[in-house]
Amino acid sequence: METASEDVLVSRSARGDEQAFGVLVERYKGMLYSMSRRLMKDPGRAEDAAQESFIKAWAALPGFKGESKFSSWLYRICYNTCISELRKRKPEVELDEAMGVPVEGPVQEFRNRDIQATIQEEVSKLPDDYRAALTLYHFNGLSYEEIAKLTHKPMGTIKAHIHRARAVLKTRLLERVGWDNLKEVMWQ
Amino acid sequence: MREKGTEGQRDRGIERSGSGAGCELLRSRLQDYVTRELEPESRRLFDAHLVECGECQHELALMTAVVSTLDHQPVLDPQPGFSEKVMRSLPRQRVFVFSPWWSLALAPLLAGAVWLFRTPLERGIAGLLGRYVPVSVTLPALTMQSAGIAAAAVVGLGLLVTAGGAVFCWRAYLRD
Repeated sequence: METASEDVLVSRSARGDEQAFGVLVERYKGMLYSMSRRLMKDPGRAEDAAQESFIKAWAALPGFKGESKFSSWLYRICYNTCISELRKRKPEVELDEAMGVPVEGPVQEFRNRDIQATIQEEVSKLPDDYRAALTLYHFNGLSYEEIAKLTHKPMGTIKAHIHRARAVLKTRLLERVGWDNLKEVMWQ
Repeated sequence: MREKGTEGQRDRGIERSGSGAGCELLRSRLQDYVTRELEPESRRLFDAHLVECGECQHELALMTAVVSTLDHQPVLDPQPGFSEKVMRSLPRQRVFVFSPWWSLALAPLLAGAVWLFRTPLERGIAGLLGRYVPVSVTLPALTMQSAGIAAAAVVGLGLLVTAGGAVFCWRAYLRD
């Protein structure tokens, strides 16, 4: 069963085969949890959102016609679950507001893996829409078109969100790490 | 999709302008360059500019670090027991699914049916033997020997039907 193709597993799950759905859960739990963790930030809430997404997927599977990839369909469910949770939680932070948070000066010692940590930390400070677009594009590997369809936003808006978010990250990385440190790490 | 005319106008702007204006135009397309979404013509102009502009090289290195880090974000694992929690929370669906386990359920059902109808089955088999076996054997009314033969035939038939049912279930299961 573990080696069965995705189409077979989806088809069996749609007819109520829990064993087949269990294999799909195993295959996608990392992706779905990572996605919800990046969107929700809080690990506990992220796990709840991922779990809810799987339960919604199970209930909706008999209606899944295979018009899109199963993974894209699952990401859409997860995205909608996370966004509806986020809307319940707090007012949206604007990008300019997020940019306004002062940072400490460049660090003295810096290692390559710290770039990852710094960027992750800065991504978590971005407004929800920007973080979502960035996560769907870079982590889930969706195209601008797919993200626009999934989020019900114009493609231009999605592209603008991703571009502005990257520009902010670049600025923050430079502010926090300093060019001299970065140069050493990147070109060592 | 970007319009070709606009792209061309932008490219000519890059070519004609001095380094300051050229840098500004190039930096507005820097992300497309890093993510390889830039058209080949624009990319060539970008490459030519990069050779002589240290500031744009600097910008490019920074943006490459950002994009590369975003592209290689690790997959995070939920707490152990997550999958079990999900499976326990699933609402039960009342949908019939072929599974090999169904074939196991057939065996006791069949054995029960054979036991219930053993007398008519034995008589029927004995009658069929008497009618179609081309040897003139006069079967006694119901000796221990003939009862044993009939029982063995019933069991054999039962096993055949069970095996057939199992094969059907397995094939239906594998086909789906």
